[in-house]
Amino acid sequence: MAGIFDFAPAIALLPFLSFLIALFLGDRMPKGGALAGIVATGGSLLLALMTFGAVSSGGRQQMTFYVWAQGVEAVDLTLGVLIDPLSSMMLIIVSLVAFLVHLFSLGYMNDEGETGLPRYYAGLGLFTFSMLAFVMADNLLMAFMFFELVGLCSFLLIGFWFREPAPPSAAKKAFLVTRFGDYFFLIGVVAVFATFGTAQFAGPESFPHLAEQAINGEHAVNTLGFEPTTWFTIVGLLVLGGVIGKSAQFPLHTWLPDAMEGPTPVSALIHAATMVAAGVYLVARMYGFYALSPTALAIIAFIGGFTALVAATMGVVKREIKQVLAYSTISQYGYMMLGLGAGGYVAATFHLMTHAFFKALLFLGAGSVIIAMHHNEDMWDMGGLKEKMPVTYWTFLSGSLALAGIVPFAGFWSKDEILYEALVHGLGGSPLLLGAYAMGLVAVFFTGFYTFRMVFLTFHGNPRSETAREPHGVRWNVKFPLVVLGILAAVAGLVNMTPVADLTGNHDFELLVKWLEFEGGDLAGLSLANYHHLLEEFAGYHAAELSPILPGLLSLGLALAGALLAWRLYNVPEPTEHTDRLGSAKTVLYNNYYQDEYQVWLAESVTYPLSRAADKFDQGIVDGVVNGVSSVSLLSGSRVKRIQTGVVPTYATLLTLGLTALLVVLGLLGGWF
Amino acid sequence: MVPPQWYLLLATAVFCIGVLGILTRRNALIFLMSVELMLNAANINLVYFSQFWGNVTGQTFSLFTLALAAAEVAIGIGIILVLYRNFDDVDVTKAVTMRW
Repeated sequence: MAGIFDFAPAIALLPFLSFLIALFLGDRMPKGGALAGIVATGGSLLLALMTFGAVSSGGRQQMTFYVWAQGVEAVDLTLGVLIDPLSSMMLIIVSLVAFLVHLFSLGYMNDEGETGLPRYYAGLGLFTFSMLAFVMADNLLMAFMFFELVGLCSFLLIGFWFREPAPPSAAKKAFLVTRFGDYFFLIGVVAVFATFGTAQFAGPESFPHLAEQAINGEHAVNTLGFEPTTWFTIVGLLVLGGVIGKSAQFPLHTWLPDAMEGPTPVSALIHAATMVAAGVYLVARMYGFYALSPTALAIIAFIGGFTALVAATMGVVKREIKQVLAYSTISQYGYMMLGLGAGGYVAATFHLMTHAFFKALLFLGAGSVIIAMHHNEDMWDMGGLKEKMPVTYWTFLSGSLALAGIVPFAGFWSKDEILYEALVHGLGGSPLLLGAYAMGLVAVFFTGFYTFRMVFLTFHGNPRSETAREPHGVRWNVKFPLVVLGILAAVAGLVNMTPVADLTGNHDFELLVKWLEFEGGDLAGLSLANYHHLLEEFAGYHAAELSPILPGLLSLGLALAGALLAWRLYNVPEPTEHTDRLGSAKTVLYNNYYQDEYQVWLAESVTYPLSRAADKFDQGIVDGVVNGVSSVSLLSGSRVKRIQTGVVPTYATLLTLGLTALLVVLGLLGGWF
Repeated sequence: MVPPQWYLLLATAVFCIGVLGILTRRNALIFLMSVELMLNAANINLVYFSQFWGNVTGQTFSLFTLALAAAEVAIGIGIILVLYRNFDDVDVTKAVTMRW
C-alpha cells in the first residue's frame, strides 16, 4: 500500500536534517538554526498527523527497510518501521512537544542572548530524531540503539552550559546512571536474540508471540534450561533495567533532579516527550511480553507505586520551582509504571499522553517564570506574579490542576484510571497489587499538596523580591506554546472518560480504548484484546466488579485535601516556611532520603575496593604472567649471547661440534652403529 | 676400476684436513685455503659418483662449485684486505670487535 506510510521514516529524518543544518550552517543562519528546527519538527508533526489519519482509517504498517548486518546462519539485524495505533499516537505527542519546545526556545534562548545556539538547536534536532526513530522502531535492537542516542542527546543538552561547574557534572551523572540501567537492557536484548532468534515487536514471528507459544508448549525456544516462564521473567526484568534508568524509577531516579541544570525547554522535552517517556513507552511497546509474566508485572507495579510515593514526598520541601517539577515527573512516571504493572495498558498510555501535555506545559510555564525572574528559580523569591503574567498564570494553573488530578482536567482521568485498574485487579485475585495501589493513593495527596504549594508560592501573595515586583516580560513565542498546551491539558482527558462510560453504558466516551483495540491482521498481537487475553490467561489478572465512583471520589478527595492544605498554608500574603513542623523528617526529605549519599557510599566503599581488587589482579596476575615471560626471555638472552665472542675459530669449533653431534644423533636414530 | 671406498676415503681425508686447518690455524689466508680444500673434497665425490653412475649431472655441479669457489675467494680476499687495513694483521683471533 503506497501512500503516507512510505513517508513514515521522514517523520524521524526531518529533525535529523535540521540537526545537520543547525550543526554545520547554524552560524550563518538567522536565529542560530532555530528556524530549520521549527520547520522540521512542524513537518514531522504534519506527517505524524497524516499517519495518524491513515491509521484511523485502518492502515497499519510494518516494514523492514534496511538490513545492516546480514546474518549467516544467524539473525539479521535490521532497521524497520512499525506504525500501529500506539506508535502513531506517540509520534504526534513527541513531534508536537518538540515543535512547541523549539518555538519556546526562541523566547528562552534567542531572546535571552545565549551563545552556542547552533549547538543547542543541533542537540534538540538530534534528540527529536532519536526519540521519533525509537518510537517507530520495529525491533528491540533498533529500539535499543535509539534509546542510547536519546541518552547521549540528554547528556549533550543537560551539559549545554558547560562552562559552569554544575551542568557538566549533572550531565555526566545522567549519562552514567542511565547507562547503568542500559547495561542490563543490553544483556536483555542479547538474551532475546539468543532465546527467540528475532527481536521483532509485532507479527507472527515476533518474540512476544513466540514466548506465548513457548509457554503453551507449541514452539520450543532456547531458555538455557530454565522453565519458560522463569526465563521470560528474567529477560523481562533485564530489559526493565533500562526502563528504570531512563524513566527515572527508584533506585535509579537520582539523575533526574540534577538534570534540571540544563536549559528549561530541554527539561520540558526530556520530561514530557523524549528521554523519560522512552522507558515507559518501551514497556508498553513490548507489553505482550510482560503480560506473560505475573512476577515481572508485580515488580513493575511495585516499583511504580513506590517511586510515585517517594518522589512525591521529596517534592514537598523543594525550594526551586524546577526541582518540584522534577520530582513530580518521577512520581508521575511511577504512576505509569504502576498502571502497566497492574494491567492497565490503556490507562498507562493514556497517562503517558496527558502527562506529556501537562508536564511540557508546566516546564514551559516554569521557563516563562524563570525568564521573568531573570533566571532566579527560588520560589521564595517569587510571589504575586499572577497579575504580572496572566497568560502564564492561567495556563500554569491548568497544568497544575491536571497534575494534581482535579476533575475535569487531563490528569484526573488518566491517573484515576490507573488507580482504578490497580484496585480492581488487586481485588480480583492479585492482592499484591493492593499494596502498590495504596502507595499510589497516598501519593495523590502529596501531589495535590506540592503542586499547589508551587502555584501559590510562585503566583500568589505579595512579591518577595525586587525582580518579582518588576518581572521581565515574555513574547508571543513563549505564550503561544503555553496556550496550546494549556488547552490540551484541560481537554485531553476527555478523550477517554472510562468512568463516565461505565456509568452511562455509552462506550463512545472511551475513544482511546477504541483506538488501541483494533482489528489487527498480522499485527493482532499488539491489540488491546490480545493484551487482555494474555493478562487473564498468563498473569491471572481478573477485574473485580466495582463501581468507579467510590475510588474516583477517594482519589479526588485526597488530591483536593492536599490542595486545600497548601491553600491554607501558603495562599497568604506573606507565606512562611512550614517545613520545621516536619521535625527530623525535614532533613531526610531535604536530602532526598540520602539516596545520593547512599549511592556515593556504594560507589566508594563497594565498587571502588572491588575495582581495586580487580586492578590488583590485573596488575599482579595477568600482567605478572606477561612480564614474567618476557623477563625469562630477557635473562636467558643476556646469558646465551655470551657465546658470541667475536673469535672466528670459536665459531668454527662450535659449528664442527654441532655438525658432529648432529651426525651422531642421526646415526643413533638411523641405526648406523 | 678403483673401488668407491678409496675415493670416499680420499674425499674424507681432504675434508678433514680442511676442517683441521680452520680449527687450528689463525691466519685468515690459511682459513681461505682450508675452505677451498673442503669444497674440493665435495667436488671429488661429485665427479667420482658422476662417473660411477655414468651420469654427467655431478660433473656439471662440480663446475658450479668451482665457479662458486672462485667467487668466494674474490670476496674472501677482499675481506682479508679490509681486515688487514683495520687491525694491521690477518690473525682472525685479533679481530673480536663484532660480538655482544
